[in-house]
Parts: sequence; C-alpha cells; structure tokens
Amino acid sequence: MTLIQYWRVLPRPLRIIAGRLVMIVPQMFGVMLVTFLLVRLLPGDPALLMLGNMATEEQIISLREKLGLNLSLYDQFIQYAGNVLHGDLGVSPFTSNPVAVDLLERAPATLELITYAMLLTILIGVTLAVISVVRPRGPIDYGSRVYGLAAGAIPDFWVGLLLIYFFFYVLGWAPAPFGRVDAMVTPPPTVTGFYTIDSLLAGDFAAFFSALGRLLLPVLTLAIVNAGALMKMTKTVFADAYRSEFIRHQRACGLSERTIVRSALRNSLPPIITLVGFLFGFLLGAAVLVETIFSWGGLGQYAVQAVINSDYPALQGFVLVAAAFILVVYLIVDILYELADPRIKV
Amino acid sequence: MSKTMSANQETPLLVVQNLSVQFDGADRPALDNVSFGLRRNEVLGIVGETGSGKSVLARALMNLLSENGRITAGDVLLDNQSILGMDDAELRRLRGGRLALIGTNAKALLDPVETVGSQIVRVLRAHRGGSKRTAWREAVDMLGKVGIVNPERRARAYPHELSGGMAQRVVIAMAMITSPQVVLADDATLGLDATIQVQVLDLLVNRCRELGLGAIVITHDLGIVAHFCDKVAIMREGRIVEIGPVGKFLSGPTQVYSSELLDAAKVRPTPIVSKTPEQTTGVKSATLLDVANLVKHFPIPGTNEVVRAVDDVSFSLARGETLALVGESGSGKTTIGQCLVRLLTTTSGRVTFDGDDLIGMSEREFRQHRRRIQMVFQEPYVALNPRWPVASLIGEPLALLSATESVDKAKRVRELLDAVQLPARLVDAYPHELTAGEQKRVGIARALATRPDFVVFDEPTTALDIRVRAQIIDLVRELQTEMGLSALFITHDLNSVRSLAHFVSVMRHGKILEYGPTETIFASPQEEYTKTLLKAELPIEQSQAQRERGEKRLTGAMR
Repeated sequence: MTLIQYWRVLPRPLRIIAGRLVMIVPQMFGVMLVTFLLVRLLPGDPALLMLGNMATEEQIISLREKLGLNLSLYDQFIQYAGNVLHGDLGVSPFTSNPVAVDLLERAPATLELITYAMLLTILIGVTLAVISVVRPRGPIDYGSRVYGLAAGAIPDFWVGLLLIYFFFYVLGWAPAPFGRVDAMVTPPPTVTGFYTIDSLLAGDFAAFFSALGRLLLPVLTLAIVNAGALMKMTKTVFADAYRSEFIRHQRACGLSERTIVRSALRNSLPPIITLVGFLFGFLLGAAVLVETIFSWGGLGQYAVQAVINSDYPALQGFVLVAAAFILVVYLIVDILYELADPRIKV
Repeated sequence: MSKTMSANQETPLLVVQNLSVQFDGADRPALDNVSFGLRRNEVLGIVGETGSGKSVLARALMNLLSENGRITAGDVLLDNQSILGMDDAELRRLRGGRLALIGTNAKALLDPVETVGSQIVRVLRAHRGGSKRTAWREAVDMLGKVGIVNPERRARAYPHELSGGMAQRVVIAMAMITSPQVVLADDATLGLDATIQVQVLDLLVNRCRELGLGAIVITHDLGIVAHFCDKVAIMREGRIVEIGPVGKFLSGPTQVYSSELLDAAKVRPTPIVSKTPEQTTGVKSATLLDVANLVKHFPIPGTNEVVRAVDDVSFSLARGETLALVGESGSGKTTIGQCLVRLLTTTSGRVTFDGDDLIGMSEREFRQHRRRIQMVFQEPYVALNPRWPVASLIGEPLALLSATESVDKAKRVRELLDAVQLPARLVDAYPHELTAGEQKRVGIARALATRPDFVVFDEPTTALDIRVRAQIIDLVRELQTEMGLSALFITHDLNSVRSLAHFVSVMRHGKILEYGPTETIFASPQEEYTKTLLKAELPIEQSQAQRERGEKRLTGAMR
C-alpha cells in the first residue's frame, strides 16, 4: 500500500488533525520569513536606526558585525531562523532585556484577558441571539437589536472609561484599574502565566480574588464591544437553522424545545467557530487601548511601545509571537470546523 | 346499524370537522371547511395538485401551522379529544407520539450533523424516556424492520451518507418507533425510485395494518392511491371535492375535476413508432452519436475503492431517434448524460458525435459542439440563475452561436417561448415566480435555443403534478416531431418512456442490462430486473386483493 492509501483509511478526526498539523510547518516558515524581511525592508540602516543619530562610526560598525548585517541576505535569514528556533529573539535595546523574556512576561497577561473576554463574548452573544430568535418580538429581541446597533458604533476605550467611572469611581464596587493584581498582593508563582489559575494552583485565594476583581472590568469592556458582532452573526445563522425543514420535522416528532434549540445551535456552529477564532486573533493586538486604560502591561502595550521607541527586535518578536498565536488559533478553528460538520470533505 | 359492529368501526379514530385555515395576506383560505373521518386500520389517500392545501392539512392536523397561519374554524378530534384544546405538553406528546408525520424529501428532514440512530433515539426518549442504551437497541431494531440492511452500521451513519430511499426509511422508522395511532405520510415517496417507492409504501401500509393504525397518505400519484388506499379524498383549492371508496372513485368519479385528474394520470399516448428508414433497412448510416465502452469511476472517500458509476457502456443513436435510459437512482444514467455533455470527465471510452471524437478534443474545440449538444437539467429551479429573468435565461445560450449565425435575440426568445408554450408576458419573470411546470419549460427552451441536434433530458417528468406532467410529455413529443431532434431520455418514470422513446436501455449498477425497441421491452422483458422494474410501476387500477379488501370493508360497514 502506498502512503496515500494508508491516509484514506484513517478515521476522519485523525485525518483532519494530522492534515492541519502538517500545514503548520510551512506556515510558520512563512511567518519567520515575513518577520525577518519586515526589518530588512525598513528604509535605512537597522544599526543606525537602533543606535540613533548620536552613534559613532565604530559603534555602528560593531553593531553591524554583531547583528550579522554584513552577511548575505540568505545567511542572515539562516542565522535568524536558527536563533528563533533556539528561543533567541534578540535583545531589546530599550528595556535591555532579551525580547523572549519580555514577551513571556507580557503574553500571559494579554492571553488571560482576551481568553476570559472571549468566553464572556460567546456567552453573551450566543445567548442573546438564541433567545431573540426563539422568542421573536420579545423584550430580549428588541433589546438585542438596539445593542447590536450600538455595539458596532461604540469604541472600546469609551466603554472602559464609562465602566471605570461608574463601577470604580461612583459605586466603588470594582477595584482600581491599575494592573492585574492588587499592589498589596504578591502575584502567584508562574505556572501557566494566568494569575487566576496560578493562584488557585498555589492555593492563594487572596491573589485569586484580587486577580478576578481586576479582570472584571477589562473583560466586560471587551465582551460588550465584541459580543455585538458575534450576536448579529449567530442570530442570522441560528435563525436559518431554527426555521429549517429538519427543525420543523423535529417539532412534528414532539421533541422538546430544549432539544430543538440545541440541535439548531449545533448546526449553526461552523460559522460561529470561524468568527470566534477571528475575534480571538484580532483581540491579541486590538485590546491595546483597553490594556492601556487598565494599565494591564500586556502584549499590545508592549508592541505600541516598541513602535514608538523604534525598538525593532521587540517589534519583530511581537509580530512573530502574534503570527504564531493566530496560526494556532486558526489551526484549532479549522479542526473544530471540520469536526463540527461531518459533511465537510477532508 | 346493528350493535354487533365492533367498537373500532363505530368510533372513528380521527375526526376532522369543518376545518378551515387562513394564512395572513392570502386572499382565500388555505383550507376551506374540510371534514372527514379516519377509522382504525384504514388508509385514506388525499390527492391534489400543488397548492391544493394537502400539506397544510397535514400540518393543521398536528396543530403545527407556520407562524402566519391559523385555524379559523372547525375542530380535529383524535380519540374524541380535541387537539385544538391541548396545552403545549399535551401537544408535544401528541406530535410524534400519537400522530406521526412522515414528510417529503427525507434528507432535508434529518439533522445533518447527528447520526440517524441518535436521531431516532432522541424521538423515542422524548416520548417514552428510558436509557440511551435500550433506546439505541430499539432504534437499531426498528431500522431493521423498515428494511435497512446492516442496521447496526447504518445507525451510525450521517444523513448525507444515505441514499434518498434509505433516508426515507429512517424517517419512517422515526415515525413508527413510538407506535403512534395515526400516521400521516405527506408525499413520503416523492422522488424515490419506483421499486423503492413500492417497497417503502408496502412497508408503511403493512405495518399500519399489522398494528391497526390509521394512515393518511397524501400524494399526487393516483397509482399509489389505487394500490394502497381504502378511501380517497380529492382536494382542490383547500376544499375536498370528492371523498369515497377507492374502487368507486376509479370506476367513475362524480366530479369533473376528479375525472380530469384521472384522465391525465392514465395518459398512455400511443407509442411513437419509429419511421426512420435506417431502422427498417437496418443500415445505421446516419448514426449521430456513438458511445463505446464508456467508463466513469468516482473515488469513495475514506477508502481506496472506486464507485464504478458507469461500467463499460456502449450504445448508438441515429438522427431523429430517441433512446431512454431507465434504471434506479445510482444506476449511472445521469452520469452518462453528464459525461456526454462533458460536465464530467470520462475515465475511459469513446464518444463519437457526428464523426468527431468528443472525449479527446480540448475544451475550446468542444465549445464549438456545445451548441449542437444540449442538456435539460433534472431540477429546473436549481439549474436556473435565480437573479435572471426568463428572457436572459433563454437568451444566454445564443451567445454560443458564431457571429455569422447571430440572430435577433428578442425575436428568438419569443419564438422559443412560443415553442415551449409559455405566454410572452413571462419574459420578465424570475425563476421563483414560475411554477414547477413553467420552470421545466424554461429549462427546455434554454436547451433548444441553439437548435441543437442532440439533447439530453434528465428526468423531464419527475416530481411534477399529474396534469403538468401530461402537458410536458405532449410538449416534448411535439418538439421532437417538429425539429427532428435526437434525444437521450434519462428517467425512472416508465410511463413517460412509453410515450416518448423509440428505444430503451435498462441500466443497473452502471451497466446496460437490456436494450431494445420500447414496445418489445415493455411487452416481453427478458431480464429479471427489467420485470421487477416494470412491476413497480403502479397502474391506476386496484389489485385483486385491494378490491376484495374494499368490498369487505363496504359490507362490514353496511351490516
């Protein structure tokens, strides 16, 4: 039997996952190539840009030597790829930390924020969509229409500021919008980088509740802004499924409304998965305004700082990590998408 | 009426009293004062054309009208209990539990992302509860009872992996699993092969009789009524025009409309006798199309095997001749048609058209031949661009003509509309505004636009109303005699074959089993399979057994 014959008889889920995993290798290679070229394509001498106008000739020459800028483009890329594979993303001249260390510190902050924000977005968006389709012309239906219009028009930083004003300043319910955990509380030892999970692992409930409290407003902000789009799309897809022939038939078979809604939702999953994946990848960089307002110290802020400071190694590192993250998200999306619909040919 | 009569016959199981249904914005009621009764162990056929309200009736019986429809008058009693007075929980128990619906187009009725077994389990547990494991076993049992081979494995299949007939059986299993009192079959066998249709209906009616259920069979096929029903109701424009025992109806309908229907259904135009000289002399000098050793394979996903959809098929066709390819779905007949017009690439074999090899030529060369070889697609609505008006749809193929042949487009479109007997006012209509019959005609007009020499008709008469079907058959016959077309008919409607084709090829599993002049094949089929196929065609007359059953019921009721 040839390889292709072995392939064809594998169970479907295995074929889906294996097929997608194989694709990630050339994709990652492409990402590395682009991030490498990113800096090369910038006008001017990178060494000069890094050192600024006050640099002496010797400094420039020695940096060029250090950065390997005198090698051919091909050798430079090989060198860069080798470094990246060894986890060496260069040193940020601005923070004078290795970029990998900086990113490892900040990435979990953003990931924790947007993961919870995504979960809440799904909860709000899908729930509202389902209720407004199942009970048309009810209060939730009308309310969700207004919300759908508004959510697309309101900027996230404004929602964040409003929430801070009411819940922190006026009502005093929410903690101060400064960082991921109360200044009096020591952050838990890093395991996953998610404070909520790490604190629970360490059994440190004070840190857990503090981290949870700090997450509340930024997560709410992101969810309020993004759930509108998800809700609108889910509503369209779910309404179609809910009015389809097989749902009518299920009703004629006397299935309970619960089962019927679940079945219609199960059928609307593929586009929802796609949009959630897209939003998730998008939020990685787009959460920057919210991160700034809440002094979150996340990736978005780091990237903006890097741009402002012309910190190219940091920027390069951010683009690489962001691209890798988005690739992984899309990989999961593709896999889930094909698993959710048995009709898709692998 | 004497007291010796059994209680079963005394009280009808289902009573419909003066039922009227109105849809918002409709100018006439969808159902208008409909009354009838259904006894245990009785099969009532309801016949009507599209728009007669028969499907609305089925939905109204379950109190399951769509949002903009409501019951304005009348009542439906099941076992003396009004279903209109039921609360939601009672209705839920009624639907699928006591009154089960088997709808048209089973593949659309099944949840595409759930295995069929678990869908049946879902229905069973909604009505009877119980553990998943026992429900699954019962579901597999039921799948076996409705004639599904290898039910264990099939229960784990998704709907898209099943054929139409198989999916229909699954829907029947779904209806039967709760042992309902009344089964409503709403065009349950529409679009299925004749042999499968007979099997499915046999199964349905027999199971109803075994369990003493009442059944309502909604259909537009009078053959089904004659064969399976005890009583028939003819519906038109929301009213029951005539209702009575099937025997009486077939021997003499009392209403004009009923007899019109009966006549249209019985249409057996005299077969066209081939008069082409080649036939009589046996010289095939004017062979237009010659197909030799045609093979088409499709790979099966998940395995290394292939489906031999067309397996070494050869035939030839002379000018002005019509060949019918008959066979069940999956026999490869549509694949042959699509290979001939190069919608599918052929695995191997040779197709010669007027001396030119069609398979070997490039796409560009073949384009020159497209105007001479056309195809009428099976589902006209799907094959017509929904955003184009009729004029553009019919005019489009004219672009295939070379500049020297260019014609006045508007004039040609009018001629074509005329040829397919469509009124000129339809030129600006869009496909969704046309009836199924009109869509078929537009599809035919499109194929004829370039004055082709050869046309492939894929199921030209399937899924049409009785009278429309008769009209389309007449139309095609006229066009053929006028234009001297050669045609390939792909169909499983044997009635139309008899009226349209000179020769018949019977196909099965991608091979031609039997070939001959139409009359010969119908009069004395040689192959066992051909005989089965012919037997599955339901004549519009009652069988002996059915007649006896009718008489027994009649005397029983009079005693």
